[in-house]
Amino acid sequence: MNCRVFCLTGWLITILNLITLQPSFVFAKDAVAETAKIDFLKQIKPLFQAKCHSCHGRETQEGGFRLDLKSRALEGGDSGRAISPGISHKSELYHRIAGTGDGDQMPPEGEGTPLSTDELALVKRWIDEGAQWPEAANLKDQLPGSDHWAFQAVKSVPLPQVQQSAWVKNGIDAFILQKLEQEKVSPSAEADRSTLIRRVYLDLTGLPPSVAEWERWSSDTSPGWYEKLVDHLLASPHYGERWGRHWMDLARYADSDGFEKDSKRPHAWRWRTWVINALNADLPFDQFSIEQLAGDLLPKPATSQLVATGFHRNTLINREGGTDPEEDRVKRTVDRTNTLGSVWLGLTVECAQCHTHKYDPLTQREYYRLYAFFNSMTEPDIGAPLPEEQAAFEKADQIYQKEHAPLVKAIQDYEQQQLTQSLSAWEKQNTNHNPVWTILKPESVHAKQNSTLKILPDRSVLAAGDNPGRAEIYTLTFKTNLKNINGIRLEALPDSSLPKNGPGRSPAGDFELTMLSLKAAPLQTPDSATDIPLENAQASFEMAGFKVDRVINNSPHSGWSIGPQQGKKQIATFETKAPFGDEKGTLITVTLQQSTTRTLYHNLGRFRLSLTTASKPLSLTGMTDLIVDTLNTPADQRTTGQQQELLEYFRTLDPQLNKLKATELAHKKDKPRNPAETTKAQVVNHLKIPRKTHLMVRGDFLNPADEVQPDTPAILPALESSNPNRLELARWLFNPKNPLTARVTVNRIWSRYFGRGIVFTINDFGTQGEPPSHPELLDWLATQFRENNWSLKQLHKLIVMSATYRQSSNSRPELTKRDPYNTWLSHQNRQRVEAEIVRDQALAVSGLIKHKIGGRSVNPPQPEGIASLGYANSVKWPTSQGDDRYRRGLYTFFQRTVPYPMLMTFDSPDSNLSCTRREQSNTPLQALTILNDPAFFECSQALGRRIVEETQQKESSLDSRVRHAFQLCLSRQPSSDEIDIIKQLYQDQIQLLKSDQGAVSQLTNAQKRPAGSTPQEVAAWIIIGRVLMNLDEFVTRG
Amino acid sequence: MMHTNPDSLNLARRQFLMNSSCSVAGYALAAMMEKEGLLASESSLTNPLAPRDAHFPGTAKNCIFIFLAGGPSQIDLYDSKPKLQELNGQPLPKELTEKVRFAFINKETATLSGSVRKFTKHGECGTEFSDVLPNIASCADDIALIRSMYTEQFNHHPAQLMLNTGVGRFGRPSVGSWLTYGLGSQSNNLPGYVVLTAGRGASGGASLWSSGSLPSTYAGVLFRNKGEPVLNLNNPPGISADIQKSGLDAIKKLNSAQLGLTGDDEIASRIASYELAFRMQSSAPELIDLSSETKETQDAYGIDRKGEAKNGGRGGGSDTEAAFSRNCLLARRLVERGVRFINLYHASWDHHSGLDAGITRNAGIVDQPVAALLKDLKQRGLLDSTLVVMAGEFGRTPLGENRTGSKAVTGRDHHPGAFSLWMAGGGVKGGQVIGKTSELGWSVEEDPVHINDFHATLLHLFGLNHLKLAQNFGGLDIRLTNVGGKIVEKLIV
Repeated sequence: MNCRVFCLTGWLITILNLITLQPSFVFAKDAVAETAKIDFLKQIKPLFQAKCHSCHGRETQEGGFRLDLKSRALEGGDSGRAISPGISHKSELYHRIAGTGDGDQMPPEGEGTPLSTDELALVKRWIDEGAQWPEAANLKDQLPGSDHWAFQAVKSVPLPQVQQSAWVKNGIDAFILQKLEQEKVSPSAEADRSTLIRRVYLDLTGLPPSVAEWERWSSDTSPGWYEKLVDHLLASPHYGERWGRHWMDLARYADSDGFEKDSKRPHAWRWRTWVINALNADLPFDQFSIEQLAGDLLPKPATSQLVATGFHRNTLINREGGTDPEEDRVKRTVDRTNTLGSVWLGLTVECAQCHTHKYDPLTQREYYRLYAFFNSMTEPDIGAPLPEEQAAFEKADQIYQKEHAPLVKAIQDYEQQQLTQSLSAWEKQNTNHNPVWTILKPESVHAKQNSTLKILPDRSVLAAGDNPGRAEIYTLTFKTNLKNINGIRLEALPDSSLPKNGPGRSPAGDFELTMLSLKAAPLQTPDSATDIPLENAQASFEMAGFKVDRVINNSPHSGWSIGPQQGKKQIATFETKAPFGDEKGTLITVTLQQSTTRTLYHNLGRFRLSLTTASKPLSLTGMTDLIVDTLNTPADQRTTGQQQELLEYFRTLDPQLNKLKATELAHKKDKPRNPAETTKAQVVNHLKIPRKTHLMVRGDFLNPADEVQPDTPAILPALESSNPNRLELARWLFNPKNPLTARVTVNRIWSRYFGRGIVFTINDFGTQGEPPSHPELLDWLATQFRENNWSLKQLHKLIVMSATYRQSSNSRPELTKRDPYNTWLSHQNRQRVEAEIVRDQALAVSGLIKHKIGGRSVNPPQPEGIASLGYANSVKWPTSQGDDRYRRGLYTFFQRTVPYPMLMTFDSPDSNLSCTRREQSNTPLQALTILNDPAFFECSQALGRRIVEETQQKESSLDSRVRHAFQLCLSRQPSSDEIDIIKQLYQDQIQLLKSDQGAVSQLTNAQKRPAGSTPQEVAAWIIIGRVLMNLDEFVTRG
Repeated sequence: MMHTNPDSLNLARRQFLMNSSCSVAGYALAAMMEKEGLLASESSLTNPLAPRDAHFPGTAKNCIFIFLAGGPSQIDLYDSKPKLQELNGQPLPKELTEKVRFAFINKETATLSGSVRKFTKHGECGTEFSDVLPNIASCADDIALIRSMYTEQFNHHPAQLMLNTGVGRFGRPSVGSWLTYGLGSQSNNLPGYVVLTAGRGASGGASLWSSGSLPSTYAGVLFRNKGEPVLNLNNPPGISADIQKSGLDAIKKLNSAQLGLTGDDEIASRIASYELAFRMQSSAPELIDLSSETKETQDAYGIDRKGEAKNGGRGGGSDTEAAFSRNCLLARRLVERGVRFINLYHASWDHHSGLDAGITRNAGIVDQPVAALLKDLKQRGLLDSTLVVMAGEFGRTPLGENRTGSKAVTGRDHHPGAFSLWMAGGGVKGGQVIGKTSELGWSVEEDPVHINDFHATLLHLFGLNHLKLAQNFGGLDIRLTNVGGKIVEKLIV
């Protein structure tokens, strides 16, 4: 097949630009050529029908181009527009049929004969006349449609009549039995109780029942025991872990970026915890989905709803040095689009990324319409404390505030009631005053932009007028008689005229000072100015990342800021490398440059400069010449400003006040840390102005064609929204008319219980997928799901309560020929449990498991030399200590380039793409893992000891031990043959170990032996425990 | 449409289940084998790696694939460019760089950078090799050197995936997975697909030998340089051979009892995988014990060489020389034992700077043992049936790298548009050069070979039709050659 039909090149963009100018041009032409106009219906349509429709019509659309529908013909194919109304020589359609362009001539060889010269002329004229296409021409044509079953609405299906109605436990069984009865096959008997108990434990929680639980459910004689058990398990917090892991497969969850650098994602776990909690709370599936797809667009989203959007952040990111960030962003967006397709729609939309889907009714253009929904995301990390962390913080903070308030009040009281008196007393005692800082009085001020600079009585400079939309450079000159000047000080001062009281002019009152340069010239030769180099910058406060030393680093792009400590005075001092100051006075020029890189201009609002001759290191505060003036002025003659400044200075001196402040500061250290600073989440947000989306020719991001608007595929019910955004898309999935979401979801969940879906191709409900084995059952389940308010727990309950689910999993040899894949479900299917569950079971039966629901990922021990397979030894594996060594498998840190080997050996998905079904392979490496992996052997050791210990009190006959071991590992009683095999094994081991003390002590290594037991018997039971964990039955759900 | 076809009822359920109960891949494999008339012999009922017939008789039976990660400089190894030397220091004509993207080069100021290497002709065929590969050059008459390779990816990880899996994305099976999937393996006590690494980790890590959408049965099994040769091969402390044996006997008895009870053939498959595991426990240590090799052989490979990592530390620590030599010798031993596919990795050849020292070191690491391997295989009559490939993910630019912030130009940037790799043995017509690059080495001028073409040819040598070796996955036919692939006829005898 030729999929390069109508693949246009880059000049299409030019055409696009021309098209916007089109209408006036067409009108003009129409007016002149009215009489000779081509009749589309009579002259063009029959031509298209004869020559084009077989490949570009309703049935097939080669190259995504359709020439039987006005809208589709005019919008073009996979590589852009084909018809440029009014300009035939810029219409690819014309070039293709005329054979004058770069592309293959149409119709292609073997598909039809080329158009005649007359026909070509006709089409040319038609295009030149504006490609008039009356709407009426469409009436008989159908809009895009399909007879494919999956695109038809979900039917409301009555339960079928069956003969063996006694077998039916719920609706599911009626459908299954109907098929079986048609085939004259009877369903299998219910699995024995032990198998059923272990099956439902593993399916709902991923953990085996403990011996006590197994005994409880085995001996419950009430008729409703099974339903009680199911309800009990659905209420277990382990349900969320079990089904959360399934969801993580779909979400391609990992704890690292992937690709070469494969950086860690320390906050990824926060989304996983959200999933577990949401599932445990049975958040309805529509809400569950909407919050993950578009939580950021919900009205006033709660933190948890933002955390949910972390779903999108699980995509890979390539941070290799040479990567084009835009290319990588496009890749992530593509992945998000495809994931929507496979998880909710069950469609392989990714095919349409490069060309119109070969099999399913999805054009490449439609693909990019879907893509457009995901094209305007931003990817921030936010503070997202867990509710319990937040509660603990609030409680601790309340206590803290209660203790802290009196300390603050003591300072306030002192300042109000005693400070002035202390000042008077101090003034009486201290009469000699030497200023440390001499405040400079500007001779001239100049602003490069249009700020108006005003000199205030306290010698400070205030910028007024509109904050210029540019970075300011202030230049000030001063005269001084000081000599041996050691430093300069900048006071950034608050002022009520500034935003948030300043001292800066940004909307938040901040500034970013990027350069302060100092020049000096003797007063006598003012033109001979030299640069005074500065060093050792210090400041009263520095914003993180905006340190004050950036002011003197010679870069005009990086500077000092003070957020969030705006609204008060901030001080910076700079030492001169060498003292300066002319004998006969100095002319000083100071230039203050502000940041050019900030979009909101961070200019200084009010400031003051001082010089000092005091020795280094400089003090931020200290007596100024102005304060000396004030002190020399009688108290009753001082201005308010003078009084305030004096008090401010005195505050830095007053020992009583400083003591109070020190107490307050010391207590501040006890302030509880806000968990929002440590517990973060990767989320998405949306751009206020969405990005434009273009169809990308052959999927190449460097080759954009026409702009497209967000919309859903035409084959599915319309979106019906005036504001098509991600939220609307997410809601559309749950529109009752949507034929896919409910079917796809129930089918996937069904497949977890039976090993295969009602639709075998779980991620492909398209025309290449398999049709459902029980279409009515699928629709009935989909309807139930929707009518039960999308409750997942109710769906699970419905399935596991069915007789179909509860059947024995023994094979039916008489049916292997007629139903080799057990499509009819004449019995349950045995399934190897997933990688994580293999680990969880070993930890559970050995008693080593440590439960904690949710939380950060852990690094259980892994063999040496695994992490070093990562790129250039950059991957580190800090082995967890304590309980974290024994957490469930789903919490194991997933490093994409070198994943935990045990998980991969048992077919964990690589988490690079959404995974709807896992493989269940069976390899010698799996055998080696359970036999020899130190983590598993540790479980064997604990298990052996546990078997002995827990049977010490009972009559410790060998038989009772074997029984206990089977109950622990396999949740059932052993058969007498099995007891014999194990007993024989035990005797053999005792024989072998008798002569091998070394082996005994290695096996029982570092273990506390149960009272009354011998090392040999513990060692023998360790070996038996290892055997039991290696049975097929152990890693299989029966 | 793909229905569960009632006509295929004779397709035994256990056939289907031999890989994975109810898996797409299992179904696809069974269906493929049925379609191709490749229904397996009895042993494959429980062993998915049992040998299978090819689509047609191939010349190659085993493959040793040497992957030099990072992008070795073809200009300094295989593709002599006197003109480049002549124009050293001059800018490249603008039209050549206009539409090209670079990882690090600043186009405006970059200049051409000639190679300091000396090239001489070797063998009867007279193929030119650089002076850093004297030993490999001495095998020139067995080597088919392709100078006209090109790829679509110019960052390491995607490009490494492209060369190892045919697509620059995650999730596809690697070459070795496809070969073992299509042909099984002749070894019944070692994995069919073995990976050996030396030096620093490659950008792609374990994703390069992943089985992707195929079952993990077909994934590469990493043989380790330290500790036990295969992860978890050794019994835990205290488990003696006798204890292990009696434990495995009990496991087999208990599993067999379950098999009788449930009739699930997957249990038979598990019994078989435990038996293979047990055989691996004895055969793998024997495999890696090189003391049975003659001193002459050991020295030819240079397994005791000491490296000098000071110049060219990118090539790995000072133990890399010996490690890579051992890997080459192990590769021959694996071939002798019937292992289908052996991947040797060495990293890194990413010479953005310090190219001359770096490539001297790296070539020194690989030259002697790779040549020894070729000669050893030949002498033992194994080269005709063993395909040896040496390749990197892309080449390096004729332009010197003037990355922002670097003081001097001492390296080259990534160059996907034209690079070299070579193949020998396995039915490849040696002693020839395929393809030609432009006089500056910028682009391919003759016989362009896309990675999909290279893969198509590789499969062909094994008797596999690259269009037929496919897996239906989510409605798509997945192939090693993706949607391309054209056999390079000149390569084939």
